[in-house]
Amino acid sequence: MSRPTPTLAIKVLRSSRRRRVNASWMISIIVLAAITLAAIFAPLVAPYDPDHIDFTAIYANPGWAHWLGADALGRDTLSRMIYGARTALLAPLVVVIASTFLGVVLGLVAGWRGGWLDAVIGRLLDVLLAFPALLIAIMAVALFGKGLVAPVIAMSIAYAPFVARLTRSLVASERARPYVAAYRVQGFAGGWIALRRVLPNVAPTVGAQSTLNFGYVLAELAGLSFLGLGVQAPTADWGAMINESQAGIVGGYFLPAIIPAVAVVIVVVAVNVIGEEVSDRIGGGTPT
Amino acid sequence: MTLLEISGLTLDLPGGERLLHGIDLSVNEGETVALVGESGSGKSLTAQSILGLLPARSVVTGTVLVDGHNVPTMSSKELLGLRRSTAAMVFQDPRAGINPMRTIGDHLTEALRLGEGWSAGRARERAIEMLAAVQMPRPEEHLRQYPHELSGGMLQRVMIAGALVGSPRLLVCDEPTTALDVTTQAQILQVLIEQRQARSMGMLFITHDLNLAASLCERVYVMRDGRVEEEGSARQIFRHPATAYTRRLVAATPTIEITGDEPRASTELVRQPVLQVRDLAKTYPGRGRESVRALANVTLEIAAGEALGIVGESGSGKSTLARMIVGLELPDFGKVIIDDQERHGRPRRRADRLDRARKVQMVFQDPYLSLDPRMTAGEAVEDALRLHHPELRRPDICSRALTLLDNVGLASTQAEALPRTLSGGQRQRVAIARALAIEPSLLVMDEATSALDVSVQAQVLEVISEIRRERGLTLLFISHDLAVVRTVCERSVVMREGEVVESATTADLLTNPQHEYTRLLIDSVPRAAAIA
Repeated sequence: MSRPTPTLAIKVLRSSRRRRVNASWMISIIVLAAITLAAIFAPLVAPYDPDHIDFTAIYANPGWAHWLGADALGRDTLSRMIYGARTALLAPLVVVIASTFLGVVLGLVAGWRGGWLDAVIGRLLDVLLAFPALLIAIMAVALFGKGLVAPVIAMSIAYAPFVARLTRSLVASERARPYVAAYRVQGFAGGWIALRRVLPNVAPTVGAQSTLNFGYVLAELAGLSFLGLGVQAPTADWGAMINESQAGIVGGYFLPAIIPAVAVVIVVVAVNVIGEEVSDRIGGGTPT
Repeated sequence: MTLLEISGLTLDLPGGERLLHGIDLSVNEGETVALVGESGSGKSLTAQSILGLLPARSVVTGTVLVDGHNVPTMSSKELLGLRRSTAAMVFQDPRAGINPMRTIGDHLTEALRLGEGWSAGRARERAIEMLAAVQMPRPEEHLRQYPHELSGGMLQRVMIAGALVGSPRLLVCDEPTTALDVTTQAQILQVLIEQRQARSMGMLFITHDLNLAASLCERVYVMRDGRVEEEGSARQIFRHPATAYTRRLVAATPTIEITGDEPRASTELVRQPVLQVRDLAKTYPGRGRESVRALANVTLEIAAGEALGIVGESGSGKSTLARMIVGLELPDFGKVIIDDQERHGRPRRRADRLDRARKVQMVFQDPYLSLDPRMTAGEAVEDALRLHHPELRRPDICSRALTLLDNVGLASTQAEALPRTLSGGQRQRVAIARALAIEPSLLVMDEATSALDVSVQAQVLEVISEIRRERGLTLLFISHDLAVVRTVCERSVVMREGEVVESATTADLLTNPQHEYTRLLIDSVPRAAAIA
């Protein structure tokens, strides 16, 4: 009655999926690291003050003075991009951390305790999942006013169910494993097993899912700023920059709008590539 | 006439690793040949090469002649013909080998209708004939059934029937009875023997069980690390093994013959019982189905220092009993008394929890699942020590953990190894060390050696008997394998469908069984001694 153990034949089948050195992964890491460093050291890196208005440089073309050109008020696009990266990266980071914390707590409680608590939390998450994150964020802005604080809190709540569902199912399957029963037999308390032993075992997979959320949150927050509901002028922000530069497009000045848009796409793609690869390496594949 | 002739077969992975190093093997018409080996010996790979089922991009040299045709050089069309009419295979797990969404009838007639162009009626008749041949009780009814409606043993018969519909001349069986209970195994083997004789097929039988190979087959090949270690008649391999490896393998294979090396019941005066189980009962309510009675009025007792075996087939309730004794499940009725203390419900307070853990510890069946994948061997033992000895300081805990690991035969360098880098036997030793760290009054081992290779099993059993000698450990040993129980336990209990049917000293149980079920169980065990 012994279970089939991994035999030589199975190992052969597994080994045929050899891992290639992944170029897109390396590029993504380099790009993201460069943008992050530039954002952190913005005052040192940026060639101009991002809010410095220079009427001699209105819609300046890219060149030695302004590498990426300048906008309708003659502000240096590169400097605004670098300063804008701060809100573009920091806000989603806060959302990811907060939603992961919230989701893990809910998921761990539901998956570990099971029973009615699991059912209640499950229904709560279903209700939250029914609303698009952007809608919740706009509602928060409507209630609490413009700015980044209300949307960040709203998005943290809106993204928690994704993390919570994954955590719940992972914890529930870990809980049924014999090693958890072994801890119980040894006399360990349930809470200790859940927090100190099961949670670290599910953390890599949950972390990978959270990383993937980063890209979506970044795009949605940029969208919010574009709508004028997020970061307020004159603070530099990628979404707000696209909004401000709309008028220029009619006049044939595409660059000030396109550059932040491309930046959003690049960062989102880079983060997703990293997230996918990380979750692949953990072996869970892309959790759905 | 030679039906299968493998010569100089080698197999390399695309990465360059060589898995088979020149296999030579032959099977004649009407002959049964066993391919015996432990896990990783390459026996399944060899079997797969016969039907051209080898992994993609692997490099094969040598020849595999089936009925005179070389398999490795066949086109896919020729392979199809080979699999349709010349050679067939029966796999280990019948549930994995039959499409769960199709009926048994579909499974059996598909190849005939689509492959041979038979009419539905003719194929159906043939399927009924085959099901009758493998001793299925109601062939016509079974055709309409789905795989989930049949037990594992029934499904394996369906698999055999499916392999036989094309009237193959060579049948390759890859561990066809390993996942089955011993009584079911005996029935399946009977079917295979009958069919081989009726059809004068050649049969290549792959197994890890030397007793089984010896009781069934005329010739035996012993494989190890991708090589044929030894070849000979079953009798010769078993009685006069030529190589050291085969000798070790034969010695490590437990038998149910009384040899005098089994542990004797102590003649001391009545000793204090460590465990008393009284009228334990448990019924699982069936959701919309019949409820399942897992245990009914089970009563047993283990004296200090004694080893009690619990033997039973799957579904006999032996694992439920173990889980109740260690407190992972609660009984509906009855008492579990350990060291004169009765258990009540789940422990709430920390002191209760620790006290309960010191009464009884457990070693689980599957060492691949019962160790925390993120904790090293040393950490697993240290965790238990730290919980039960909060007064100890770090260096003391470390040194104690190393001593415990050393006691079960693990080197101090292995203390830093994660479970996935350890072999099955090493993992099970870690699990034993972890249980011993708590110094329990009673140790429960639930099928603790059944997932291991025989030579590894022998080592683990040796560790257990050493610890019993040194510490006077009281042991509850649960197993489906009578032969293993014989070497470990003084007394044994036979369980069936949640009830204890017989209880006696192990030697009496084996030589003079009283209950008919015990007799059936013993008669079903394949014996090498039966060969003349």
